[in-house]
Amino acid sequence: MREGFGVWLTGLPASGKTTIARTLEKALRRRGLRVEVLDGDEVRRNLSPDLGFTRKDRETHARRVAYVAKLLVRNGVAVIVGLISPYRNFREHARKQIGNFVEVWVRCPLEECIRRDPKGLYEKAMRGEINDLTGIQDPYEEPLNPEVTVDTSKESVEESVNKIIKKLENLGYLPST
Amino acid sequence: MSRKVLIIGLDCAAPELVFEKFLDELPNLRKMLGHGVHGRLKTCIPPITIPAWMVMMTSRDPGTLGLYGFRHKKSYSYDVWIASSRSIKHKTVWDILSERGLKSCVVSVPPSYPPKPVNGCMVSCFITPDATKDYTYPKELKGELEARFGEYIFDVEFRTEDRDRVLKETYEMTRQHFNVIKYLMQEKEWSLFVFVEIGLDRIHHAFWKFFDREHPKYVPNNRYENVVKEYYKYLDREIGDLLNLVDDETVVLVVSDHGAKGMKGAFCINQWLIREGYLTIKGKPERGARLEESQIDWSKTKAWGWGGYYARIFVNVEGREPQGIVPPEDYEKTLDELTEKLKQIHGPNGEKFDNRIYRPEEIYDELNGDSPDLIVYLDNLSWRSAGTIGYDTLYLSENDTGPDDAVHSEYGVFILYDPKSETGTELQNLSIFDVAPTVLSILDVPVPEEMKGKTITW
Repeated sequence: MREGFGVWLTGLPASGKTTIARTLEKALRRRGLRVEVLDGDEVRRNLSPDLGFTRKDRETHARRVAYVAKLLVRNGVAVIVGLISPYRNFREHARKQIGNFVEVWVRCPLEECIRRDPKGLYEKAMRGEINDLTGIQDPYEEPLNPEVTVDTSKESVEESVNKIIKKLENLGYLPST
Repeated sequence: MSRKVLIIGLDCAAPELVFEKFLDELPNLRKMLGHGVHGRLKTCIPPITIPAWMVMMTSRDPGTLGLYGFRHKKSYSYDVWIASSRSIKHKTVWDILSERGLKSCVVSVPPSYPPKPVNGCMVSCFITPDATKDYTYPKELKGELEARFGEYIFDVEFRTEDRDRVLKETYEMTRQHFNVIKYLMQEKEWSLFVFVEIGLDRIHHAFWKFFDREHPKYVPNNRYENVVKEYYKYLDREIGDLLNLVDDETVVLVVSDHGAKGMKGAFCINQWLIREGYLTIKGKPERGARLEESQIDWSKTKAWGWGGYYARIFVNVEGREPQGIVPPEDYEKTLDELTEKLKQIHGPNGEKFDNRIYRPEEIYDELNGDSPDLIVYLDNLSWRSAGTIGYDTLYLSENDTGPDDAVHSEYGVFILYDPKSETGTELQNLSIFDVAPTVLSILDVPVPEEMKGKTITW
């Protein structure tokens, strides 16, 4: 069985995690991999309907996602996680759990995320209707030593995805083309 | 009571590591950040040990100093000369203090071999050939130090696959250096004490790929994973010891001449010049051959290049170089054309490169010495320049002159610790030119007008 791995996309809301996850998913499927995407709202709805956005709740949710990812990875699946996961210690926990772990910092300046705001979250936060949005009220601890950094304000989606694929090849998780 | 200044120079210290990645484990540096000012220090062009430390100590740019790296082309010949302390004609901070009767101790600030007279004492730097030479001022200091610490260790050979040896020798060297400066700090009289440790640069170059997960050659869970961090922690402990040796009147600076980042690869600049029709070689060189003067068909060569962390391009100008062919009236046109082509260089898979091409006469106040015609940063220094030839590719994954996994970057570290200050502030827009004026101001010495930098205040 081919070895599984986890690509963990972390970044601010609207930084581009979902777009990258979906494009990467397609690219990996084209290479014949079994891929599962654990992304944002849908996973939260199914896995953590009981949780909110306090630090403790975010941590519990991240632990659940890491656990599911671990199960998939050990069965040879390529797992792509798209989760704000704002705290370093959550991500370190996920790294330990999953093992074959590639942390991708989806970097994008806050101003650009606010400009994009596809879900209207920043607008709500600035109107005071949400009071725990990462980047506005809640902190985001930037990764200190990620495997890959992509900058979605400067790179195209394809460029970002290529960087991730290149790293997966370097680490031996994907055969080089 | 008048103030004193201690400068701890950490060659190649990277702000990303000191201020972010490792900060939680560097208690002494973290304490320093709480008393005074700190920030990223923009270095000079080029970001290379020689000239950068002298740029810092004179507040003049490399063009004015006539110093563009270790090697230089001998004025419009094809020969090479190596920088030494004799190349420095401008006044350093300690020269100015000497004139005012203030004493300085200067230890291993590049380039300081052969050592020059100073009102105080001097130990020369890593370019010193070996310990049989006179490497101190005054001369007798050599014996005084050797009796206590053995022969001074100037450098380690770091471009080798024997990483265990690099590690062992670097620690031996750095420990000795700190013992020497602790001794000098206590035994000698000084208003200014400057010390540069080269070991950190060597550790970066030899061990970067083992901890930086973004490095193309990083392997998870390797045995050298923590070497870089542990060395920073060791330096932090040594700095803690030094802080215990100074009183509240001493302002302590921790600075670096440039930063560091992972090397993505080496771009074969001369191979590229051959492909583009600027450089013609006689015969067929072996893979990785050095570009020898005798091997170049000068009658068909418009330009050639040098390798290093940045690329230097020289134009073969008629009437200037011995066998020049580019008519002087075409010099500008040739440079413009080359600049446009250099900008277009991209990565092996078509990735865009952030190439930066500088014309020395446009970026420096004066143009002295033997400057290159173009200074080139490939992908903003992430790709180093390989000067060797004989390749069927333009892209190498390894450095062509021996194992090296890091390159230099354009921001170093600046920390100013004033024990009397109650607050610590991060500053933006700090420049390597600001260090000398700041030191003079602390010591209450007027700043010469020619100095390029500003005085940093807190």
